[in-house]
Amino acid sequence: MKIAIVGLGKMGLLHASILSTLPGVELVGLCDKSTLIRRFCREMFRGAKLCARLEELCSLDLGAVYVTTPIPSHFFITKAVYLKGIAQNVFVEKTLSSSYYESKQLCDLVERHGGTNMVGYMKRFGVTFAKARNLLNQETIGDITSFEAYAYSSDFQGVKRNPDVSANRGGVLKDLGAHTIDLALWYFGHLELVKDGVESIGDTGFKDDVQFRVRTLNGAEGRFDVSWSKNGYHMPEFGLLIRGTEGYIKVNDDEVNLQLNNGEHSAWYRHDLDDNVGFLLGSPEYYREDEHFIKAVLGSRCGWPDFDTASKVDSLIQELQVRVGLDE
Amino acid sequence: MNEQGQFTLLVGDNPFHGISHLSQERSRARGQAIYDVESAAGLVATSLDNGADGFMFSVSETTLAILARLGERVGSKRPRLFAIVPYAYEYVRLATQVGMQGLARKFAKQIVFSGDVKSLLTGLKGVFYADLAALLEAYVRFEVSRIRSASRKKMILDSVFLHEVLTEMALALKLKWLFRSYVKFMIKSGITPGFETRNFAYLVRRFKEWDIDFADVLIATPLNRVGFQMNPSRSECEKALAEIPTPDVIAVSTMAAGYLTLPEAISYIQTLPNLRGLVAGVSKEQHARETFRLLREFLK
Repeated sequence: MKIAIVGLGKMGLLHASILSTLPGVELVGLCDKSTLIRRFCREMFRGAKLCARLEELCSLDLGAVYVTTPIPSHFFITKAVYLKGIAQNVFVEKTLSSSYYESKQLCDLVERHGGTNMVGYMKRFGVTFAKARNLLNQETIGDITSFEAYAYSSDFQGVKRNPDVSANRGGVLKDLGAHTIDLALWYFGHLELVKDGVESIGDTGFKDDVQFRVRTLNGAEGRFDVSWSKNGYHMPEFGLLIRGTEGYIKVNDDEVNLQLNNGEHSAWYRHDLDDNVGFLLGSPEYYREDEHFIKAVLGSRCGWPDFDTASKVDSLIQELQVRVGLDE
Repeated sequence: MNEQGQFTLLVGDNPFHGISHLSQERSRARGQAIYDVESAAGLVATSLDNGADGFMFSVSETTLAILARLGERVGSKRPRLFAIVPYAYEYVRLATQVGMQGLARKFAKQIVFSGDVKSLLTGLKGVFYADLAALLEAYVRFEVSRIRSASRKKMILDSVFLHEVLTEMALALKLKWLFRSYVKFMIKSGITPGFETRNFAYLVRRFKEWDIDFADVLIATPLNRVGFQMNPSRSECEKALAEIPTPDVIAVSTMAAGYLTLPEAISYIQTLPNLRGLVAGVSKEQHARETFRLLREFLK
């Protein structure tokens, strides 16, 4: 299958590398508006077409396109991929777009065009988060009563910066928060923002920290704490503490802990959960995610999570932004 | 094995950066003391006193400061250095903050202001001709000069490893020319070229295909009883290890980032062929003494 990547930043290079190791995949096109990046990539991707304009990918008979540009451009690029007939199968790095309004339009577009579509919520492919989801499905901790979710990094801790940089990353909610919101939606289904649920927004002028509360359909209350200026998190970390009537589950990127009210305790690390992959670059999650997408395209199946599922994250983030006038 | 045919024992730097591949939460809970350069240099010195032959580290401001401090404590011992470049976590963080182009600009400024003329000229050639091999050479030259300046001839720079992120990307994209030019340049510089990888079986397959002589290089890769970070599987990595013609592998993550005990790690390592040495991280003085005493007793 022939594939092109649009956007050669760090995520574009990561997907390009992993895809190059997958059987049956041929990387034939790379599109980036930066002349400098295209110049240096020429030597790395010998044999692939490097171009500045999306239209130049039309002639490549592509099986799929990866959109890995900064978030604000996802909508226009993805829309163009469908409308110009560049490819029928599309993978977009998270978040799907800048707003729920745009994401909804993309969902309508895929309904008309068909094909496999997927958004890069790679935490779903993490073995610890999948294990926690299995425990929840088995109702190991009974009915869910509450949860706390966090997404922390030290990326911008103590950093003087240009606001454009944070804007390009979509702001802290889309850059970091989106992963835990997606996990919570996967675990609990629909989430509703609680009235007066926004507890605080960082006052640095860059909106570095956001805390807010939600409620699940079953009435369990959840609290999110998102920050990209937290001390001690040189690797971004995501986690949830989920309380139920029979005990609690604590899960993050590295481990899952199950504590039952009857005193039983179990813990699983990545080591216990068959974390090896065909080719490791970054985290094993990226390989599984790309492998899943390629298999879905080849088998004409749905991607997971698809545009529709991913748009629910955008919906919650947009509601938050509207509620507090948080224009990221 | 070292020049005397002995197994090489190295002390690693992960605890000094607060990195734990088992649990970041636990690493944070352990506290900040280990970030202190003085304590870190003390731990390396204690490890060297108890059987370690050298120090394996990612090149960063922290580890360069540790080297400088260590130089005042090693006397006439001249420990061996095994450096890893680049310090990927720092560069990924910078790319996040300033973007890929901003990162390139920042790096270029560092080289210009370092006054390292050779690095500067090679770098200019790299930029002018969009020559990635020349850029890599300029970068490694720059890092080697930083290491040598920090260690002030009191230590021997044995090997410079390409960090796993670079190695894996170059492997995935089948950049045979990049591997070959790196090996050639490093050998010319009198330093053993090294490659850090978590895809050992894949690397061995490619190197054989590309006729890269295993005797010329060192490979650092996870090897442990539970197959942690041994991709695609423990059995494939063990098979690849048995197939390489010379003992060129430094085992890392032998305790699977703290998941296994030291005796468990040792008993597994003893069963493996073609190992040149191993790396162990230590976080306390007593831990350093006990770890290297045991390693020396069973593996040397």
